[in-house]
Amino acid sequence: MMDAESRFRDPSSLFFQFDTVRRYIIASYWVLIILALPLWWTTTSIERLPLPTSEVYAQAQKRLEIPLAICVDSAFSSQITSLQRSIHDAASYLDVQIHIGQDCSQFPGYAILPGEQILIEDRKLYYPPSADNLASTLASLLAPKMDHRAAQYSPRFRLSFTLLNEDSSAGQVTTSWDIQQAIARHIHPITSALGILHNYTIESQVQYHALLAFEPRSLSNGTVFGLTPEDLTIFINSAEWTLSSSSSNDPVFHFVLFIPSARRRPLIILNSDGTPSSSSAFLIPQWGGIVILNLPPPPPTTLHLDLLDLQSSFSSFSRQLLTLLGFPRLPPSISYSSSHNTSLSSWQIDTLLRQRIHENVIQSHDTLQSTVTLVSQIDGMPVDEQVQSQVQGSLSALHELFTYASVNLTFDEMLAYSAQALTLSSKAFFHPGMLAMLYFPAEHKYAVYTPLFASAMIPLLAAALREIAAWRKERREARAVGDVKEATSGDGPKVDTESVS
Amino acid sequence: MRLPSLSLFLLFYFLLSSCDASSQHTNNWAVLVCSSRYWFNYRHMANALGMYRTVKRLGIPDSNIILMLADDAACNSRNKFAGSVYANPGRHLDLYGENIEVDYRGYEVTVENFLRLLTGRLSSSVPRSKRLLTDSSSNIFIYLTGHGGNEFLKFQDNEEVSAHDIADAFHQMYEGGRYNEIFFMVDTCQANSMYSKFYSPGILATGSSVVGENSYSHENDYDIGVAVIDSYTHYVLEYMEKVNKTSRLTMADLFTSYDVPKIGSHPGVRSDLFERPLGPGNPNHPMSEYGRGRGWTVEGGGEWMGREIEAGKNGRAFREALITDFFGGVVDVDVNNEDDAELRLFEDSECISSPKAPLSPSTNTYSSPPSSRSSSSLLDTLDTYPFLRPSLAFILLGALFVLVFSGMTSGRS
Repeated sequence: MMDAESRFRDPSSLFFQFDTVRRYIIASYWVLIILALPLWWTTTSIERLPLPTSEVYAQAQKRLEIPLAICVDSAFSSQITSLQRSIHDAASYLDVQIHIGQDCSQFPGYAILPGEQILIEDRKLYYPPSADNLASTLASLLAPKMDHRAAQYSPRFRLSFTLLNEDSSAGQVTTSWDIQQAIARHIHPITSALGILHNYTIESQVQYHALLAFEPRSLSNGTVFGLTPEDLTIFINSAEWTLSSSSSNDPVFHFVLFIPSARRRPLIILNSDGTPSSSSAFLIPQWGGIVILNLPPPPPTTLHLDLLDLQSSFSSFSRQLLTLLGFPRLPPSISYSSSHNTSLSSWQIDTLLRQRIHENVIQSHDTLQSTVTLVSQIDGMPVDEQVQSQVQGSLSALHELFTYASVNLTFDEMLAYSAQALTLSSKAFFHPGMLAMLYFPAEHKYAVYTPLFASAMIPLLAAALREIAAWRKERREARAVGDVKEATSGDGPKVDTESVS
Repeated sequence: MRLPSLSLFLLFYFLLSSCDASSQHTNNWAVLVCSSRYWFNYRHMANALGMYRTVKRLGIPDSNIILMLADDAACNSRNKFAGSVYANPGRHLDLYGENIEVDYRGYEVTVENFLRLLTGRLSSSVPRSKRLLTDSSSNIFIYLTGHGGNEFLKFQDNEEVSAHDIADAFHQMYEGGRYNEIFFMVDTCQANSMYSKFYSPGILATGSSVVGENSYSHENDYDIGVAVIDSYTHYVLEYMEKVNKTSRLTMADLFTSYDVPKIGSHPGVRSDLFERPLGPGNPNHPMSEYGRGRGWTVEGGGEWMGREIEAGKNGRAFREALITDFFGGVVDVDVNNEDDAELRLFEDSECISSPKAPLSPSTNTYSSPPSSRSSSSLLDTLDTYPFLRPSLAFILLGALFVLVFSGMTSGRS
């Protein structure tokens, strides 16, 4: 091919035209590509660790039965079957064992005793034997329907108390309140009695300028101002009021003591028909409670609210807190007497505990099932080690709970297990790593990869094919040379020997 | 004894849950996304801000509104009216005004953030204001606007979210109990394709234009120098001005207000995943004639997925879907009356129960395998996988190139 008279240098004498060097160069590209393939594979593949799917489904089939022992006095022996049925219908998660024919007054669990009127004392229910609807009363006591205003279970809650002066510039300002004593008197009994359920953080603040986002309706020539039910739904001016610190992501219950501006007093709540309501407090489901405190008009320009001033407001707050926590109320026909100075009976606390345990178990079942269903449904969803261990942790907590619930677990331990299962399962579900890869249609992938890789691969392939062809040709000629044992005739070997010398 | 009790429990559970789904939601949320940036997309920011103003006016508090906005229009150096965004040529109403709380701004408006926001899979350091803290009793209004195409919406000129991704995100929200009902509205070109992939229950969707059709801007302001709002959003917002906090207008009223000659595109509705009726069960309501006459040029009526099952919904005891079910503040407030506080807890549920509708099968999701008929010849394969055609051409071309190139060069040696 090469022209002998060419005045250019003979390319075969250039160092990069040595066959071996050229082949090394070409081979190095291929080695690099082959070495890079595993790297490309691992960096583009999604880590999907296996989840214990069958265990999750098996666990979700199980139903928790919480043991409940009731001693029924012989005076009620005729009603045993209806008792059992009505409790079971109301709450099938209760494993009711009824004891008859012993002295119920010494019984360690629940006891139903004959009494003058319906009365609850600790875990004992006194009931007149002549009254008939014992079964429904008992069912409503042991398994009341969960209030929709209550917040979902969380191991931690933050209670935020705010004293809001609507407009301090209008002539009167409340600068301080005896919040610590008020909390100790009204809130602390609740948080300590229900301390077994949740962990509470309490914060409080005073604000001096918190305007409403609307104008309250003026009644009777501007001497009274009213809030219609529609106004109440937009009462919270969340754009301008900072009602809680954002120090954590725990659910917050807000309690707002709102002091209307001196120009706009008294501010009252209206019923839907426009008549004044007797109450000055209202509750926003799952959010918190608001109490409107109408102070006497100035002269005192600076006020301090002492414990006595806060009494009615804080008893409203404590009632609202109980509602938000889902605490079951006693039916009005039942009176309550207690040896301790508290309004929360063990009977109600136990009921709430059982409800929360049941709720948590159902919720963690659902969440676990959703997690494994989603992972199997959505191919691009990664599952990392943390998610795997959280799912397993949740499962093992449920396993412990189910195995020992009927044997020797206290409510406290059952709740702890159920809460752990719930927390871990929701952590797994909402794990930030569980974000599915974006979906791209196959057309897009081809459209992106083909122009990129085709142009790079074609010269590489061509060079490799060419070298292989040349190499095979060489081998063939070398073999021919060896066979015939004649003088060399090919160009290639000659070039080789020259270049070596 | 055990089996009947279990089934009784399940029955009770279903009754309860279907009762919850129909009537009990306690809070409303809104997610408003403008996925465009740059000055010439002024109108998309105006769209989102117009919606923001409307949901806020109707009572959703700022803490429950997640606004994703590039936010480069109000303070753009080309904006003659600095610090303002207007949605009409007369510049009557400054949408940017006071109290605009943009939660995701500028480069934070990404597909990843949007999907993380919806699914709740955010890192623990993200503040509350950037979280969608919904639960199974929340209704969510989701509004998207930007430049899009068939089954995708572009985010800020460098990435896109596909209809599949949003459908999957909604399903994850459903599985995680993050919503009671969703109202999904999208204003972009070929917008109706964005809701075509949904497969989770409780979603009502509407879009501005059918597949293959553009959505158009509404008006220019010659002082601002760009189009100030999109046509579909303009007419929706105009209709919403008639709605107040206590309005009883239904979703059917909103949908029948669509006026094709004015909007310039054919809006669509999807209600087959939504179990409540869109309007009162009145056969004379114009909703039954949705998409027919009055300028609708689509054969067989405008696009309404779920038209045929709509009549069956009224037989059940569900309340019709009001606009204020999605655009409103706190749904109910309890005034504490000391006397009756005890009573409320033991009230029985008065909602008439009906069996829960089965989940609609996810037949048209992308993950369904292609038809498994055996394709014997290459042509059959090409028919099954049409996308192979261009790539096959590429490969053939490449092979030809390789042959010619290697032949030429090896001939040289």
